[in-house]
Amino acid sequence: MSGRPASPHTLASAEEPVVFVVDDDASVRDALSNLFRSVGLRVEVFGSAHEFLQSKLPNVASCLILDIRLPRLSGLDFQAELAKADIRIPIIFMTGHGDIPMTVRAMKAGAVDFLTKPFRDQDMLDAVTTAIERDRVSRDEARVLSDLHARFATLTPREREVMGLVTAGLMNKQIAAEIGIAEITVKIHRGHIMRKMAAKSLPDLVRMAEMLGIGPASGRPQT
Amino acid sequence: MLPMMRNQTMRSWRSAEQWLLGSMVLALAMAAFIWLVLGPAPAAPAYLTAVVLLIASLLASLIMMLRVGMTRRQLEAVLDGRARAEQHAIEALRHSEAQWKEVFEHNPVMYFMVDAAGTVLSVNTFGAAQLGYSVSELLGQSVLKVFPIEEQRAARSNVAICLENIGQTHSWEICKVRKDGSSLWVRENAKAVRRLDNQLIVLIACEDVTERKLAEDALRQSEMYLAEAQRLSHTGSYGLRVASGEIVWSEETFRIFEFERAPSVKLDAVIQRIHPDDRARVQQTIDRASRDGKDFAHGYRLLMPDGSVKHVHATAHAVKDASGGIELVGAVTDVTSRKRAEAELHEALANLAHVTRVTALGEFAASIAHEVNQPLAAVVTNAAACLRWLDREPANLKEARSTLQSIVADGNRAGEVIQRVRALVDKTADRKAPLHINDVVNEVISLVQHELFSHRVALRLELAPALPPILADRIQLQQVILNLVINGIEAMQPVKDRPRELEIRTRQDETGQVLVTVSDCGVGVAAENADRLFDAFFTTKSGGMGMGLSICRSIVNAHGGRLSASANTGPGATFQFALPLNQEDST
Repeated sequence: MSGRPASPHTLASAEEPVVFVVDDDASVRDALSNLFRSVGLRVEVFGSAHEFLQSKLPNVASCLILDIRLPRLSGLDFQAELAKADIRIPIIFMTGHGDIPMTVRAMKAGAVDFLTKPFRDQDMLDAVTTAIERDRVSRDEARVLSDLHARFATLTPREREVMGLVTAGLMNKQIAAEIGIAEITVKIHRGHIMRKMAAKSLPDLVRMAEMLGIGPASGRPQT
Repeated sequence: MLPMMRNQTMRSWRSAEQWLLGSMVLALAMAAFIWLVLGPAPAAPAYLTAVVLLIASLLASLIMMLRVGMTRRQLEAVLDGRARAEQHAIEALRHSEAQWKEVFEHNPVMYFMVDAAGTVLSVNTFGAAQLGYSVSELLGQSVLKVFPIEEQRAARSNVAICLENIGQTHSWEICKVRKDGSSLWVRENAKAVRRLDNQLIVLIACEDVTERKLAEDALRQSEMYLAEAQRLSHTGSYGLRVASGEIVWSEETFRIFEFERAPSVKLDAVIQRIHPDDRARVQQTIDRASRDGKDFAHGYRLLMPDGSVKHVHATAHAVKDASGGIELVGAVTDVTSRKRAEAELHEALANLAHVTRVTALGEFAASIAHEVNQPLAAVVTNAAACLRWLDREPANLKEARSTLQSIVADGNRAGEVIQRVRALVDKTADRKAPLHINDVVNEVISLVQHELFSHRVALRLELAPALPPILADRIQLQQVILNLVINGIEAMQPVKDRPRELEIRTRQDETGQVLVTVSDCGVGVAAENADRLFDAFFTTKSGGMGMGLSICRSIVNAHGGRLSASANTGPGATFQFALPLNQEDST
């Protein structure tokens, strides 16, 4: 029953997505690996949650296939643990006999799918495709957001303040009055902001402000 | 006082008589003398006559005085003797009276003398003392005072009966009440007599029979208890006088045999009640015991007039009676309900064994489903993958072949699980075959793998190599081991501070028996539960039926072995069973 030892893989090598399989049963593990390889998917298998946590996860779109009845740490507990460690990987659960409460709990905790063994191969592949797609999107979103944050970080405190007021829809004149500076200075700040944030237009900037959660009062990103 | 007074009287009477006689003679002499001296001188012859007369009278008076004195002395002697005799008689009477008084007062019998109205005229000290009274407290009182209210009517009527039959003695037993309120049982003998003054009185003598009464009560009680005990235990007693063929039965024996109560019954009649199939055997046993004077115990059936059958068990002890004849004294127990219960229990146990097997299976359903599902899932997934390998352009035959190999392996694995499950549920009678105990252990382990895993129990196996095969029912042994392993796992459930370790060992002991030991480091067995561990329906688990170990023990016993439990020196408990190599010899 011991799982295949996690090889010291270099997971972060390629851009192609990876499917991770955690199951204490070697047959199931190998069969899944076989299935994913037959459709040309990269796959990594682990005998336990512990082994999975030990390995270094690649920064590519991926998903995790978990048996809900894992020894020591159940699949659901493992899901909670991953969330706690802020590892946001889409999870597909497998179970020998899925009961409704278990399914509900797993789905509420963000599972992509819940498959009962034995499952149809197409269901599994569909679930994996969905999961990887979801991970790719969320990874993209995360990347955009982190870019935005990086750009926002280059703004001076005054520019952040002005950006907050601009995106709240105030005119230059009003902004100048609001913070007690010349209108021309407001215009200069605006120019800097548009350039630093790489905003193509005012609506573009407003969208960015929304993503960053900037309000008119604070001028700082709200978390 | 009285005799002395009499003496004095007599003495004074005697002196008065003397004085009277003396003075009469003296007066006569004086008169003669005076007449001679002073009277006219008579003629000589007259004078002579007078002198002679004087002398004669003097003589006569002297004689008279002598005679009187003699008579008086005689009389005195007679009187004296009479007085002495009288005194003796009085003495004797006094003595006798004192003696009778003594008897009356202190004879340990209570004497009462009552008048027709029931008033106490006399009572002896003993009688009064027995009732806690002094004599004076009872005299003049109604005799009803010493009877409790509920006995007063009887006391009254008893006295009345005596009064109606004067001179006849009547006796009865009655309860009296002491001054302190305690009871006193007495036997009374009473008789009415008419006194000299024509008054009717009743003389009553009573004897304390309280002790006898208590003893009688105790005996009656004990007989009642015995009868009750016999009734409750469905055990009757009997005594058979061999010479006469007469049997004396207790009440319960009559009830068991359903005979009309009688002082004695005839052996022949009893034999007729015995089931025809058992009759000859019983007759034989009784004959032998009668002849040899040996004890015996046997069981047989009774065929009742209504056609029902009773099972009885009889034992007898042979004793010699006073005349040297053999008497069989024994007990007979109606074991019909026990027999029935035994049969029912046997059946129930067989059913339960099956139920527990199925229940145990139910408990493992999830586990087994998992066991079957895993290879099944692998097979399905691999088959899908295989198709995909074949669908490739060009087909990847190498991968497809290796995938098919996996499918075969997984399919076999699933089949094995199914086989084991089927074997476990299969309710079959004893199917003993030579087998290796280590194989059985391994089969069980494969079934509980998941349980061990999910309860985080580490399994240590020490299976002795080259154990001789034993003749046993594989499934039953699996069940025993499975039960012990599950018990061990459950016992370690609460253990948090140390590794949960379960050890299964097999070995052969000095006597050649094969031993299987299952040890855990769990909560162990409380000393007070050790004895009841194997009892049916005894459980310490909230959800347990208490059948597991009981059934295990019957299985092991059926194999001629024994199952035992012991506490470990460290934490936990060890269950061990030993199986002989050749069960045929022992079963």
